[in-house]
Amino acid sequence: MKLLGITSCPNGIAHTYMAAESLRKGAEELGVKIKVETQGSIGVENEFTADEIREADGIIIAADKAVEKSRFVGKKVLVTGVQDGIHKAQELIRRFETGDVPEYKGDMKSINEVKQERKDKQNPFYRHLMNGVSYMIPFVAVGGLLIALSLAIGGHPTDSGLQIPKDSVWKQIMDVGSAGFTFMVPILAGFIAMSIADRPGLAPGMIGGYIAANGSFYGSEAGAGFLGGILAGFVAGYIAKWIKSWSVPRVIQPIMPILVIPLLASIVVASLFIFVVGAPIASLMDWLTAFLNGMQGASSIILALILGAMISFDMGGPVNKVAFLFGASMIGQGNVHIMGAIAAAICVPPLGMGLATLLNKKKYEKAEQEAGKAALAMGLVGITEGAIPFAAKDPLRVIPSIMAGSMVASTIAMLGHVGNNVPHGGPIVAVLGAISHPLMYFIGIVAGVFVTALLVNTVKKNVA
Amino acid sequence: MKLTELMSKDLVDIDLKASTKNEVIDHMIEKLDQSDALKSKRKFKKAIEKREKEGSTGIGFKVAIPHGKSKAVTAPRVAFGLSRAGVDWNSVDGDNAQLVFMIAVPEESAGNEHLKILQMLSIKLMDEAFRNQLLNVQTVNEAYELLEQIG
Repeated sequence: MKLLGITSCPNGIAHTYMAAESLRKGAEELGVKIKVETQGSIGVENEFTADEIREADGIIIAADKAVEKSRFVGKKVLVTGVQDGIHKAQELIRRFETGDVPEYKGDMKSINEVKQERKDKQNPFYRHLMNGVSYMIPFVAVGGLLIALSLAIGGHPTDSGLQIPKDSVWKQIMDVGSAGFTFMVPILAGFIAMSIADRPGLAPGMIGGYIAANGSFYGSEAGAGFLGGILAGFVAGYIAKWIKSWSVPRVIQPIMPILVIPLLASIVVASLFIFVVGAPIASLMDWLTAFLNGMQGASSIILALILGAMISFDMGGPVNKVAFLFGASMIGQGNVHIMGAIAAAICVPPLGMGLATLLNKKKYEKAEQEAGKAALAMGLVGITEGAIPFAAKDPLRVIPSIMAGSMVASTIAMLGHVGNNVPHGGPIVAVLGAISHPLMYFIGIVAGVFVTALLVNTVKKNVA
Repeated sequence: MKLTELMSKDLVDIDLKASTKNEVIDHMIEKLDQSDALKSKRKFKKAIEKREKEGSTGIGFKVAIPHGKSKAVTAPRVAFGLSRAGVDWNSVDGDNAQLVFMIAVPEESAGNEHLKILQMLSIKLMDEAFRNQLLNVQTVNEAYELLEQIG
């Protein structure tokens, strides 16, 4: 056991040090480690460090003078007179061994309590979303930055997008980044579910998120993206919470949280995607593809608007995929302008959100500001996913803003006859020389980025 | 620096005759005054009494440490008295005080070396063996030798 002691007395001449000595002796006899801070007339001696306070099992305050206790919020604190320190040192120490000491709550609320209160006031839907997003952000950042770096340095423009030679070290770095991205949606879904149902929600949430992100489970070319992940997280979480409320025989109770709840909730969420959501997603993709093919004869401006909106709507989800694959297939048919418009739209969400965090820090939490910087890097190499943390946390404000920005960018690119013969987006394709009319390409991107940033900062509220 | 630098043999009385707390305090203040440590006996006594009111300085283990921090003190000084019979000091443990250290500290003084010395004295008084030696001294010199160890 490790204890801390504070001794203090009115004049700070004698008792302070007697009590300190007595505590040290008492602790030594009981085989307990103690460090005693003396607050006497010499001043504070032997002052605790933050680490020592953190590691301590408890604090004895033997003082006849007010001692500042705010350092000890959340620790076991025994407050008594300096005489007890002198005479009852061993007794005081033993009270920590018997667990007979209350935790100091503090006159002021601790940071955690304030956070908890703030959470309780929030709409539960946002609270669960935020929990998922906060755990997802590092995965997006790690994955996105590694992919961005490897594409920027090791990527070569080809007909099938930016490719990295297989024998290049950048290929391995890219794969590490992809591993990070693979966890993105499962982590999002898992921690949404955990926020709802506590630990039993984590497994069904993550499994559900993985299924949502992988279309192969339900015969779809693309997964349901982060929006599907959010759905999976909420479904898994509420199912798990509901099963938790069942009254079950005592013998089964211990295995409920580790086996029964995760198993049943996983089956439900998996069935939901495989039998209910999966088929509509696949048919939605077919329908959208047919729709876009039918649009070819129509005004290219309208097509650009639609494609820009689709690219940003779910960033890597089915709608985005349809638009992207449509653009890629058009390159094969000799029409490089569609991909030009898409390439400009692709980088707007991450660049726009990154710029938004720089323009107004008050509207973004610390973690979001960091995610904003990562998003900027991802945007430069055309990784739309950089904006997902923002969209997942506040979909109703962020998604329309990024869609508007992408629509502006794709339209300007289309009007400027920007061509792109590499199915990839962002400034990097221009740098690599795959873009015709790069000036208009950049004007489109910059305009779209500013539209997104200004719009989202207008509709977003300040964080509390 | 040693404790005895704040003392002199004149400030050691190994046979206190006074039988009450108040008499012991008066007697020891008189000694401190004779050593030119005090500007005003009355004001220093006020400081001592004020401290006693905040809580008895009879810390138990037969020890009392009446002390005062006052402008009436010109130099830090410690007086020691041993009462064979013991004096009621309202000690926490109920025992009579036999070892009485009177500590005079100036309100403001350069440095805190004297406070360090008093800190050492306080710590030493927690040592039972030391207290027993002090209780059994027969001469002023014997007591003084023991007190010289501190510091």
